[in-house]
Amino acid sequence: MLSLHCPYCGVDVDETDLTPGGEAHLVRSGSGSDDADFEAYLFMRKNPRGVHFERWRHSFGCGKWFHAARATDTLEVFGTYSAQTKEPPQDVQERIRARRPDWKGFGKGDRI
Amino acid sequence: MSDAVSVCNGASFSGAVQVLDAGLCGMITLRGDLADEKLSAAVKAATGMGLPKPRRIKKGKRGAVAWMSPDELLIFVDYDLADSTVTKIERALQGQYFLAVNVSDARATFALQGTGVREVIAKGAPVDMSPQGLPVGEIRRTRLGQVAAAFWLSDEEHLTLVCFRSVGSFVYDWLCNAATEGTLPRLTG
Amino acid sequence: MRRYSAFAIAREAARYHTGWGRAWRNPTPKKSYDIVIIGAGGHGLATAYYLGKNHGLKNVAVVEKGWLGGGNTGRNTTIIRSNYLQDESAAIYEKARSLYESLSQDLNYNVMFSPRGVLMLAQTEHEIRGYKRTEHANRLQGVETRFIGPKEVKRLVPIIEISGPRYPVLGALWQPRGGTARHDAVAWGYARACSDMGIDIIQQCEVTAIRQKNGAVSGIETTKGEISCNKLGLVVAGNSGVLAEMAGFRLPIESVALQALVSEPIKPAINVVVMANTVHGYISQSDKGELVIGGGADGFNNYTQRGSFHHIEETVRALIETFPIISRLKMLRQWGGIVDMTGDRSPIIGRTPLENCFIDCGWGTGGFKAIPGSGWSMAATMARGEPDEFAAAFGMERFIEGRFIDESVAAGVAH
Repeated sequence: MLSLHCPYCGVDVDETDLTPGGEAHLVRSGSGSDDADFEAYLFMRKNPRGVHFERWRHSFGCGKWFHAARATDTLEVFGTYSAQTKEPPQDVQERIRARRPDWKGFGKGDRI
Repeated sequence: MSDAVSVCNGASFSGAVQVLDAGLCGMITLRGDLADEKLSAAVKAATGMGLPKPRRIKKGKRGAVAWMSPDELLIFVDYDLADSTVTKIERALQGQYFLAVNVSDARATFALQGTGVREVIAKGAPVDMSPQGLPVGEIRRTRLGQVAAAFWLSDEEHLTLVCFRSVGSFVYDWLCNAATEGTLPRLTG
Repeated sequence: MRRYSAFAIAREAARYHTGWGRAWRNPTPKKSYDIVIIGAGGHGLATAYYLGKNHGLKNVAVVEKGWLGGGNTGRNTTIIRSNYLQDESAAIYEKARSLYESLSQDLNYNVMFSPRGVLMLAQTEHEIRGYKRTEHANRLQGVETRFIGPKEVKRLVPIIEISGPRYPVLGALWQPRGGTARHDAVAWGYARACSDMGIDIIQQCEVTAIRQKNGAVSGIETTKGEISCNKLGLVVAGNSGVLAEMAGFRLPIESVALQALVSEPIKPAINVVVMANTVHGYISQSDKGELVIGGGADGFNNYTQRGSFHHIEETVRALIETFPIISRLKMLRQWGGIVDMTGDRSPIIGRTPLENCFIDCGWGTGGFKAIPGSGWSMAATMARGEPDEFAAAFGMERFIEGRFIDESVAAGVAH
């Protein structure tokens, strides 16, 4: 079972109190965008076997959305952070680098 | 108007701990910018108390104020005073963004009393119920069994739990079952 | 290959079973094959088998990073049914179901197909309407199903509680020709038949890169060396995204964990498959006597093949209301498998942006039942270089075209 730290409540929260919200930091493509971008926005989710950034909602608690940096191959959690950001904060990125020296960096080299 | 009654109409159960339907309780959900001075002044005027720190519940003579989320408070007052308190808050905050709603009749409140109250809740809530995990005076919103609930300890032997009224009788039954005599781990120290 | 038969058993009995040969060879990979399939699970082996059997293509290798049938083929709840709503789904799942009927004879290997019947319980008014609609759709598709009332459900499943307070049984969609099969035997049977045709199955051989030349696939690099090929098939449920990245394209897929458990073995108690989609639980009894119980999928990306206690708790909690008799059973073991989820909960079969590279993935939580049909269709698609009649609707271009085969809405849940 996953346990994530809610950055708003400041408590560790079990998976059963949370709702997963899929990939974080999506770039939205709406009307006027080309078909490939719109398809990517709707369906092409990153699915890495390794470092992944996700949206989660503390649905049984404060109800707020937040982001989590997590490893999909070990369930290790690198950190959680506010959803009001376009990229993971530096301290979270550094923690990932410390644990995963081969991580290419946020938004780099992760085609899938 | 018909007489309002609480969900289990004052039922009580005595087992490993005591479980009591705590009766009608006035509750007001207040949403807004908690950093706003006018908002904290309005809460102070209505309840006589300042804002609680995150996760805390603050108690006073006229009720209590609980931190529910970064932009939400739950205000406890006498059941009969809920509507007038909402009116007071509305007047004080007129012209700015906020939301104050009397939710008293949408909630049920239970009081648990005894040395094993932490153990009873630990049976069904995914929360570290140790004194370090949930200190006295801290409110936790989570789930109990399969339903949403919030609870706090006012001292080591008194726990109050709030849930939706629609699941109130389920929660009461659940609590009584969890508080069955002889089902708690032996408490030492 | 010496055929398995009653005579073979008698012959071997007479010589103390010393003459049984290996079921499949364990070859070292050749430098080059016409076709390489990545993934020796049910779908990959079935693809190789029908390439050889239907299309005469036998210079084929199946490479597998672990052991054959060790992924989702060995982790599912073995349910076989074809009562889907959409025509395209019903066609390929019905093809698979009908191939299962004669698979033991076809492979000369007992896959223990047991057409014991599958019930999908309607426990809400919404489900009643949904399954009646599916029944009508199935009739037009030529799939034999029937909506039955609670009394008939009770007759078929005496241990069921039809009048529970929370999840009453209001009826069920009944597919009498659905059932189960022995999951390992399906992989082993295909592997043995493939090996017999000269197809190489190379286990413990992990693909590390996909080589390309002029926009077309030219081979793979593996932990057992380089292997060149003219055509490549990716048939690796759960890891499809990882392989797609090696091939240089993206897939509309997310990998999530799906869980199952078995109880301790008991005497025969239930002789049909019962699926309860409202509560995310399905149950059948294996020949060993264990109750095989499957639950819902996680909502987050996960490659760990681990389960989580709360899913098991949810599934069991709901099932013991429907089957109170099982409440005292102990759980024997519990596990997780990684499944590919697409946006419309339907699979992807067809070409990829990389020339001569084909993919068969996205079977979500319902891959086992599709194995023969999926292999049949993928083999035809690879042999011809273009989608066959079954695969035509399942190309990945459907996501850009908005031409979904929406089984997530149709079934309420994907299995």
